[in-house]
Amino acid sequence: MSFITAKNLVRRFDLSDPWIVRKLTFRPKKFLTAVNDVSFSVEKGTTYALVGESGSGKSTIAKMAVGLLTPSAGTITLDNHNLNDPNLSPQRQRLMRRRIQMVFQSPYASLNPRWRVGDILKEPIQSFDLIQGTKNQAKRVEELLEQVGLSPSDAKKYPHEFSGGQRQRISIARALSSQPDVIICDEPTSALDVSVQAQVLNLLKSLQKEFSLTYLFITHDLAVVSSVANRIGVLNKGALVEEASPEELFTNPKQDYTRMLLNAAPKML
Amino acid sequence: MLQPLLEIKNICVEFKTRGGALKAVDDLSIDVQQGEILGLVGESGAGKSMMGAAILGLIDPPGRLSSGEIWFKGQRIDQNPEPFRGCEISMIFQDPLVSLNPLKKIGDQLVETILRHKRMSRAQAIDRACRGLIEVGIDPERLNAYPHTFSGGMRQRVVIALALASEPSLIIADEPTTALDVSVQAQILKLLKKLCDSRGTSIILITHDMGVISETTDRVGVLYAGRLAEIGITDHVLRSAKHPYTQGLVASTPKIDPDSFGRSLYQIPGSMPKLDAIPTGCAFHPRCTMRTNKCSQERPPMMKDTAACWLLEEME
Repeated sequence: MSFITAKNLVRRFDLSDPWIVRKLTFRPKKFLTAVNDVSFSVEKGTTYALVGESGSGKSTIAKMAVGLLTPSAGTITLDNHNLNDPNLSPQRQRLMRRRIQMVFQSPYASLNPRWRVGDILKEPIQSFDLIQGTKNQAKRVEELLEQVGLSPSDAKKYPHEFSGGQRQRISIARALSSQPDVIICDEPTSALDVSVQAQVLNLLKSLQKEFSLTYLFITHDLAVVSSVANRIGVLNKGALVEEASPEELFTNPKQDYTRMLLNAAPKML
Repeated sequence: MLQPLLEIKNICVEFKTRGGALKAVDDLSIDVQQGEILGLVGESGAGKSMMGAAILGLIDPPGRLSSGEIWFKGQRIDQNPEPFRGCEISMIFQDPLVSLNPLKKIGDQLVETILRHKRMSRAQAIDRACRGLIEVGIDPERLNAYPHTFSGGMRQRVVIALALASEPSLIIADEPTTALDVSVQAQILKLLKKLCDSRGTSIILITHDMGVISETTDRVGVLYAGRLAEIGITDHVLRSAKHPYTQGLVASTPKIDPDSFGRSLYQIPGSMPKLDAIPTGCAFHPRCTMRTNKCSQERPPMMKDTAACWLLEEME
């Protein structure tokens, strides 16, 4: 049973000049198709990785999946509910979005520097009204911090007091705080050092087992993908060119583009 | 043995703070031979960029080079690096968008650099700039283009052409491919290697990516908390690392390898110490799985010119 399904997903961006300039220069409207007819499905509790170079549309797909962008055509469904159903009431849509959370690339930019870590983690809990009472909420924050390998006393600190890897742990805790089913990881380790990257990837894996989370993992690093993904989709210029399991993709790539990516990845001895 | 192109002897870089002097680079010695690519690898805060800045005398106050000597081609340059900077020794920075002037055509930037360092007419300099662009694989017709019209990889090529314009004998490349895609990264590394071969230029390649180190460099130095943990021929260091930190780094790097699919990665426990709290003895000992009592008391010297670790002493 597939849990997240993207069907013929398309996203176009309008890059046209302002109306008056178009009328004066007789130029037509300009569009950029960032995502072109992409379909894939992800099973519950597994990791689906989207790989591609800059500009291949991987982050656009991530943004559509969390509802930060609406698709120009096609649908994304979670558990057979359409995420962008125009008939759905805003309240229902909000409830749907609780189930999908995101971990962003840069832990330096994605945490509010003026908020204490406790407040950052509490916000989703309060906003979705998951736990009543300040005491219970504080308890839940402590629990979350422990789950990502930080200490409960860290709730009083500000993000700048943490290193990059610890901040990414806070981002992960924030994603977990609304008890999601799906976490979208948009290059979660590309701003981190190798040894910290290993810690964060292992943490993501153990959390996946514990809470049977489904990950949509977006990255340009094939080596990272090989250690986390159950299935891999390769994106090139907005289109899905190849989809396979890691074993298949790395031993027997079918597309020239995939082969090029594999050859370009720096190899260790 | 040939005299090395660059010799760094026991340098320390200190930052004065209210809590005392912090050592970003601590008693580090390294040399670079003619025509070799030396890799410097380490995590953020290991002092690798500080090393590059120290060689060029580009350390911003309150930091300063507090002790040690830097010799380049038999001359001591740490007191007065100015005549060498950008001329004999040039630098490639991480972000090509920041290191190019967005308001000047790339041709003008190249010509300016060439005229600053070489005595020649403007026409000759333009001709030189054209050849420089061809060398890095850019159409010389784009001499009159502005930096924003280039893609990231092309911009980094322009930056490399700029670095080569003064025909340096040493290039310090500080994370030259971190901002780029893998496919573009492969092209840029290939280009650097080719230039190194054809011109006999030495390169110090600063990076945190073990894959890049393994594909590009001849020798590699591993830095930890401002100290040199291990140095040696790249193949030897990666295949049979002596220092536990290097072993951990190699093991925690994800690899494309059918055996490792879905496996958990090795992780080094803990994280790099802050500069104001560097442990006594070996800086790595709190995270080391093979530590002994000696490790926490005495700082290990460089053993057999390969690694700074007490384990090597025991093996003798």
